[in-house]
Amino acid sequence: MTAPLVRPVPVQAAAPASSAARAWLAEAGAVFVKDWRTELRTRHALHTLLLFAVTTLVTVSLALGPMGVASSERVAVLPALLWVIVLFAAAAGLPRGFVHEEETHTAIALRLAGTPSAIFCGKALYSASLLLALEALLAPLYVAVMQLPIAQPALLLAALGLGGLGLAIASTLLAAIVAQAQGRAALFPILAFPVLLPLLLLAVELTRGAVAGGVGDAVLTNLALYDATMAVAGLMLFPLVWNP
Amino acid sequence: MIGGGGIGMVMIVNLVIWTGLFLYLLRLESHVRDLEKEP
Amino acid sequence: MSTLSVAGRAWRWALWAWISICIVGAFLYAPLAAKFIGQSSRILFFHVPMAWTSFVAFIAAGVWSILYLWRRDPDQDRAAAAAVEIGLVFCFLATATGAMWARVMWGAWWNWDPRQTSISVVLVFYAAYLVLRGAVEDLEARARLCAAYAVLGLVVAPFFFFVLPRMVSFTLHPDAVINTRAKVEVESRMLQVLLASSLGFNVLFFWMHGVRVRLLRVAARRAPQVELEEVPA
Repeated sequence: MTAPLVRPVPVQAAAPASSAARAWLAEAGAVFVKDWRTELRTRHALHTLLLFAVTTLVTVSLALGPMGVASSERVAVLPALLWVIVLFAAAAGLPRGFVHEEETHTAIALRLAGTPSAIFCGKALYSASLLLALEALLAPLYVAVMQLPIAQPALLLAALGLGGLGLAIASTLLAAIVAQAQGRAALFPILAFPVLLPLLLLAVELTRGAVAGGVGDAVLTNLALYDATMAVAGLMLFPLVWNP
Repeated sequence: MIGGGGIGMVMIVNLVIWTGLFLYLLRLESHVRDLEKEP
Repeated sequence: MSTLSVAGRAWRWALWAWISICIVGAFLYAPLAAKFIGQSSRILFFHVPMAWTSFVAFIAAGVWSILYLWRRDPDQDRAAAAAVEIGLVFCFLATATGAMWARVMWGAWWNWDPRQTSISVVLVFYAAYLVLRGAVEDLEARARLCAAYAVLGLVVAPFFFFVLPRMVSFTLHPDAVINTRAKVEVESRMLQVLLASSLGFNVLFFWMHGVRVRLLRVAARRAPQVELEEVPA
């Protein structure tokens, strides 16, 4: 009963796990790049996002003006309006993420060739990059036009970043659901509202904290938690939504 | 009227509504039972 | 449950008696709560159980949806859909009675305090689920997409029930609901009626749910390709 010699683990045994991960990432990356390439050709989503965001911003700015909101009310009102603009633009520009695929029938090829979770990751990151780019343009404009003092810029960045990411992830999953149904344009906001409400409230609260100079820790943690939850839910539910 | 006028009436109206709903559910269930029996 | 036996019939009548006793108890047995205007606290014995039941229905729909996505048994999809439909009724009534009570207590029908927000979000979730259900023609896709949405709702729900109440700062109005609720529950007679009423409403929900599922099964049998939600005449 001699103890068996420990056999060295063959190098190949370790490789599949990491190469599978690399393949997955490559796939996600490919979807991301493909979506951006398509987008840069037509620039449809970019235009929609920009158009809706700028129109809403102009409306808000004209209606309220830099002096329109009393400085005591600024903390309460202006952050909320910023997120209304972001939400409006997102609801207009993001839902079509999958509709394009269905309409041009590239969806079939994608279903055959791709790993669903990788597709979801690629699409979600694409939507996130779109939204974050929009925010990068919108936020400074908003702050300047509405004369909004930012006491803690780091919190604003966190709010825009985490809020935008969460919005994009949730929108991607919802867009996938909506793409397979009729009445898509109206359906997306209906489905999205209850799902996005916690995110929006948390993002507004965090933005308020950025303006006011401080906010409870719970808000930042909860926002990050929402993003994480949405990511996990998306990765698990998307394959079920995508494939019959 | 038991319960002293107003509140007693509210209670009785509630009971009537509930009993009506209940009887409706009984009828509905028996209707479903009949449908289930058909081939 | 399609039995005609005496025992089978009896539990329904027992439910009738139980809820009738709760109604009588709500008006005659339970004391009025302090700090409540007039007889208005009596609405709690109906409002609270219905709200609890709609949350139960929400979770039930989510659980059945998970089961459907796992097992792909159409009956589980029907169970989830029925839970949403009947949950919607309870939720609507809970929201309405809550608003009526809020109006009497604080003069405003709606003030977005955490509980009102939670119940209204559940209401919108239910409505959205049913809209989605109506928007998908293919039966398999309908079941699958609705199940996914219900699970998504379940996943987001904790944020409403646990995160929101801690964010009272965003309302400009003080939230009196949580405080008064905590004090209200202390009275034992009130607690008795409240719990009894909750039990009654939950049993009522599951009864209605059972009937609805059976109706959906019959409709499916009649027209399996289309699977209408109504039985054709």
